[in-house]
Amino acid sequence: MTDLNSIQENKYTAGFETITDSESFEPGLSEDIVKKLSALKNEPEWVTEFRLKAFAHLQTIKEPTWANVNYNPIDYQALSYYSAPKYRNKEDIPQEILDTFEKLGVPLHERDSLLGIENKDENIIPTVAVDAVFDSVSIATTFQEELKKQGIIFCSISEAIQEHSELVKEYLGSVIPSKDNYFACLNSAVFTDGTFCYIPKGVKCPMELNTYFRINARNTGQFERTLIIADADSYVSYLEGCTAPAYDENTLHAAVVELVTHDRAEIKYSTVQNWYPGDENGVGGVLNFVTKRGLCKGESSKISWTQVETGSAVTWKYPSCILRGDNSVGEFYSVAVTKGKQQADTGTKMLHVGKNTKSTIISKGISFGDSSNTYRGQVRIGKTATNSRNYTQCDSLMLDNSKAITIPVVSQHNNSSIVEHEASAGKLSEEALYYLQSRGLDEENAVSLVVNGFCKDVFQKLPLEFAAEANQLLNVTLEGAVG
Amino acid sequence: MLVTQEFTVKVDGNTILNDLTLEYGPGIHVIMGPNGVGKSTFAHALMGNPNYDTEGAVEFYGKDLLAMETYERARAGLFISFQTPTPIEGLSNFQFIRQAMVSLNKNNNIKENLSNFRQSATDLGLGSEWDKKQLNLEASGGEKKKNELIQLEMLDPKLAILDEPDSGLDIDAIKILVEKLRAFVDKGDKTLIIVSHYAELITKLSPDTLTILDKQGNAKQTEDIQVAYDILENGFNG
Repeated sequence: MTDLNSIQENKYTAGFETITDSESFEPGLSEDIVKKLSALKNEPEWVTEFRLKAFAHLQTIKEPTWANVNYNPIDYQALSYYSAPKYRNKEDIPQEILDTFEKLGVPLHERDSLLGIENKDENIIPTVAVDAVFDSVSIATTFQEELKKQGIIFCSISEAIQEHSELVKEYLGSVIPSKDNYFACLNSAVFTDGTFCYIPKGVKCPMELNTYFRINARNTGQFERTLIIADADSYVSYLEGCTAPAYDENTLHAAVVELVTHDRAEIKYSTVQNWYPGDENGVGGVLNFVTKRGLCKGESSKISWTQVETGSAVTWKYPSCILRGDNSVGEFYSVAVTKGKQQADTGTKMLHVGKNTKSTIISKGISFGDSSNTYRGQVRIGKTATNSRNYTQCDSLMLDNSKAITIPVVSQHNNSSIVEHEASAGKLSEEALYYLQSRGLDEENAVSLVVNGFCKDVFQKLPLEFAAEANQLLNVTLEGAVG
Repeated sequence: MLVTQEFTVKVDGNTILNDLTLEYGPGIHVIMGPNGVGKSTFAHALMGNPNYDTEGAVEFYGKDLLAMETYERARAGLFISFQTPTPIEGLSNFQFIRQAMVSLNKNNNIKENLSNFRQSATDLGLGSEWDKKQLNLEASGGEKKKNELIQLEMLDPKLAILDEPDSGLDIDAIKILVEKLRAFVDKGDKTLIIVSHYAELITKLSPDTLTILDKQGNAKQTEDIQVAYDILENGFNG
């Protein structure tokens, strides 16, 4: 068994721990902790109020139990709600933290983003700007100045609360109220850091905005809070990546991500989720309990979620769209891979409110070993959403003793709309594997080609740089899943 | 060089092929037999299809073929064509060939390979977009056969067993098939084993040996090719 474990851990290349001096809260969750957190961050009163209200509501509600997942009860009093590496200013970031992000391939120095480009012309616009979050704090945000020239705000949410308080106040909790669900409520009380983006009217963001979340501290919850606003006629592509060390204990990650698009604006939000999945026996791993929702507020606006989910011990996540503006468009493209003892209950909600709204859902679930993989989707076409359309396709591919469950719920409240649903479920074809092996591919490569082909529709939706990473991640995930 | 000794193949305990002792050296060989005697089984059992249990010994260029995994057999230089090749969603024909060539340690120059692939597809009348089409998906029976032939050309094995490569092809395509098979053998030191009922193909290829499988699962190998023509004229019981 030891051998298997070490193999499994080796496969998860991001499973290392960074030893650094850090400042953490004592474990425990209370009103005092919430106040202490808010004070530490020197927040305006309205934020403290926002937190305290959420905390008060939290005392009256319970964790949801309807998801198709099992995990040991979370002792919220045993968790620490803040952990940050010690350093004085951004010029003084400890080397080990810089090394950590370098090892993870996250460029923290602006010049690094240009490496690999032979002609280092000063006018070359880099392709990706990064906000790097380490446990409870944002470490660095690149190309802020460059982006500022076009009026784009790209910074940590903590900084935004200080610098752009009115803007944050207008939108924070406007898409996901703190009472939405248990984990969103918890996050609203104790959120630490995350990213804030504002794209002004008529601006097409010239680079991909990327936030990289790294959990490092043990027994610390990570409560990321991200807010992205695309004003009228603007466009932004945002990428999110994440990893964590291989610890024996579960780590809680309860994020809230809110997106708002105004008239004719578009947000393309892509996630490659690679939190530590736990070991072969289901020990350790991240509990990924995330609430993500976008509001297509303006007419003809568009929000597109693309996710590649390979990590986490337990995933509970339904990136959704509220299509309020007439002619607005919501999309959800998902690849969820589970192996070993991993459990994923993921999907989306498409809530059609405006006229002529359109949504597309393509979900690909792949399960290996003893894992379980549930697609849960809700499409609601309201009375006012006349002439709307939804197309849903969910496919699952299974191997070994794994389980795949599909739970689509559709409710339609007008007669002029069309909802289409297609689903397929199948075992990985032995015949296909044999065919590929007869051409010299070993079993792992053969499985990888079949699975990659199965996911192709979704991978094509990822930005180019990310697609390659997702592909590689998928292949690493498949190694050791087979055999 | 492929040598089988007392090679027996069973499916669920039922003997399909019985004690075959055969030898195939460089050149062209034809296997004939009535329907359902296990001609395809012979090819797939040699390739290591997990549905078959094998006994006896098979030597492939000095190696113990039966001890190898399917992909190792392919890497050792064995190729079989499939009667009904398996479709794979989202995998393009060329992507597949590329991966196979990497696995087989063949030419790794993508540009050259793509150009060769396109040439081969054009020769067979498969159109200029063939490299982008999904593997064996939305292709006709004849197109799939042709795609197997492209693989033979690109993967360049030492020994190929082609299972009715002519079925589903029209006269013109068969002409090209014969040319391509000739060209393959003319590279030298190549062994080609063809399973076929088609008189013209056999005549045109003028094989070196003929193997006849019977319903009891026995085989007879002969260099007397006249036997083949007699069968084609009079049937297996003639």
